[in-house]
Amino acid sequence: MHIVICAKQVIDPDGVNSYALWGQLEVDESGRAFSTELPLIINAYDDQAIEAALRLRDDGHDVTITALSAGGEDVNQLLRHCKAMGCDEIVRVDDPDGPPDAFRTARLLAAAIRDLGDVDLVLCGRQSSDYDQGTTPAALAEMLGYAYVTVAFDVRVEGERLRIKRATPLGEEQVLASMPTVVTISNELGIPRYPTGRGMIAARRHPATVKTLEELGVEDGDGAELLELYIHEVAGECEFIEGDDPAAQAAALLGKLEAEGVL
Amino acid sequence: MSGIIAIISQPPAEGLTGGDLEALGGAAALAAQTGEPVLAAVIGHSVSDAVAEAGERGAERVYVADAEHLAAFSGDAVVDAAESAVAASEVSTVVIGRGTNTLEFAPRLGARLGGGCVMGVTEVRPDADGGFAVVASVYGGSARAVYRLAATPRVIGLSPGLAPAPDRDAGRSAEVVAVDAPASAEERVVVDQPAEATGPRLEEANVVVSGGRGLQRGDNFALIRELAANLGGMPGASRAIVDEGWAPSEEQVGLTGKIVSPDLYVAAGISGASQHMMGCSTSRVLVGINTDRDAPIFRYARYGINGDALEVLPELIRLTRERAGG
Ligand SMILES: Cc1cc2nc3c(=O)[nH]c(=O)nc-3n(C[C@H](O)[C@H](O)[C@H](O)COP(=O)(O)OP(=O)(O)OC[C@H]3O[C@@H](n4cnc5c(N)ncnc54)[C@H](O)[C@@H]3O)c2cc1C
Ligand SMILES: Nc1ncnc2c1ncn2[C@@H]1O[C@H](COP(=O)(O)O)[C@@H](O)[C@H]1O
Repeated sequence: MHIVICAKQVIDPDGVNSYALWGQLEVDESGRAFSTELPLIINAYDDQAIEAALRLRDDGHDVTITALSAGGEDVNQLLRHCKAMGCDEIVRVDDPDGPPDAFRTARLLAAAIRDLGDVDLVLCGRQSSDYDQGTTPAALAEMLGYAYVTVAFDVRVEGERLRIKRATPLGEEQVLASMPTVVTISNELGIPRYPTGRGMIAARRHPATVKTLEELGVEDGDGAELLELYIHEVAGECEFIEGDDPAAQAAALLGKLEAEGVL
Repeated sequence: MSGIIAIISQPPAEGLTGGDLEALGGAAALAAQTGEPVLAAVIGHSVSDAVAEAGERGAERVYVADAEHLAAFSGDAVVDAAESAVAASEVSTVVIGRGTNTLEFAPRLGARLGGGCVMGVTEVRPDADGGFAVVASVYGGSARAVYRLAATPRVIGLSPGLAPAPDRDAGRSAEVVAVDAPASAEERVVVDQPAEATGPRLEEANVVVSGGRGLQRGDNFALIRELAANLGGMPGASRAIVDEGWAPSEEQVGLTGKIVSPDLYVAAGISGASQHMMGCSTSRVLVGINTDRDAPIFRYARYGINGDALEVLPELIRLTRERAGG
């Protein structure tokens, strides 16, 4: 079984949260990126997608795992992490200055997956923590003509199909999906394992296979064009409830809420 | 190509709610800007009430895909049916409200139709050339992005609260157009064990009391449940404690959880990260309880208690129990 996991590099969301909190998040002169120097990491859901693939291997299935990322040379570091985690092959679609358009990205990833050939399962993160869209995997499934299942937290092989547990807004749902399938992974899967020392050594010796857009024959097409980023103000007007002790504070709060008419 | 179509899939028998009404409202708001007609597509089985309601709420024409295989949600079937409705109506823009299955089909439809899709749209802005741009949050709400979807037909996934539901006018009715939606030969994704929708919905609660990692231990989430019950509300959770296993994921509030907008939202031991606030910042009155006076929750809160949630919650429970006469 050949599994492809799609991994995206993002600015560390906790760092962005703190910068935003302290008013230090700034948009650069292009208007389409942050000027902030924050660490780049693997999108956390994509790390969990690798974990999902590794668990299928732990279950005793004969799996080949290829990690795939579209981006510039800076994503080599992310792909090394994927290798160190236990992925067999790492592939980068060379796209150093690609705009953040999920539909364009999906075309690149689809072309790379077709180029790999016999893929049974594509695992993606449920959404990226920078643009929060969750549209790339859906577009990928459409372009490849694969089945599509979102927000999975448990993926197992059952005969010719996959049994997938989904974290839906209503609670857990189980579906059976035929392959090939694109499945997106949600955080309910749990914490991904750490790379092993051996994995890290293997990763150092294993360069990524690089594919250019020309080699893959990626076609142009329309998508979502990012015009600008901006930072909006959060209007704070908090009234702190003072009081001698928690009992007094609680009583004062309930008084305020009654006066507001919400109790 | 002209027209803005609101997609309503598997409408509940009791009448349109939540995301379906938001889609009709969003379509009306867009139509007001572009001058295009408001249309609707209703996808499901035995949906005549929903079709009538869409007409009463302003759709000029309603495209109906009514078939047995559309009774329950299936991504493949809904994308196929929506594609047929869009082909028949020749619209420029498809609008979809936030619902249980939106993520499962809206972006696929955008890819299928070729014009792409933006999810979580909070605002629509007119363009100089008579078109429009859309705004959606990025980094969980720390910033916003403006996008243009130049090609048509395009898909817009709405964030709750973009536009109010259009009023219902019993005197109005829509022209109804049936759309062919044959079942495909192969069912690629089959629901084996459905999620059971039980009890009241967090999204509709008037009061939500939520807890975060500041509760220190999983057992203490019982305090959240008890206070919520005393106030006639429902419990909510930050993702941090869902990940810890202190609360089930259906109770998560935020960007990747539920979006709620109650009269009263109490956040106890929750830092107020933007991703959490995406799910509750439009609440009428927001209360933060946090030991850290600089916690971001106090930027959003109307009232704050700078203190230990494990001391304040028991007092609130005691006082609200007395109020309820218990
Ligand atoms: C892509 C993405 C999606 C996300 N989606 C969501 C989402 O949908 N919902 C969500 O909630 N989060 C989401 N997050 C996570 C979010 O960024 C935060 O990490 C999370 O909300 C933090 O949860 P918390 O406030 O409970 O925990 P913490 O950040 O650990 O904060 C705990 C707070 O409790 C306070 N505290 C400690 N002790 C006490 C005490 N005794 N009494 C009172 N206060 C105390 C502390 O001062 C602190 O402010 C998402 C993150 C990403 C990257
Ligand atoms: N540049 C990329 N390279 C590889 N995978 C990507 C890339 N962009 C998005 N993805 C995948 O698509 C998922 C959702 O991304 P998004 O649509 O941006 O929210 C991510 O979690 C990845 O699995």
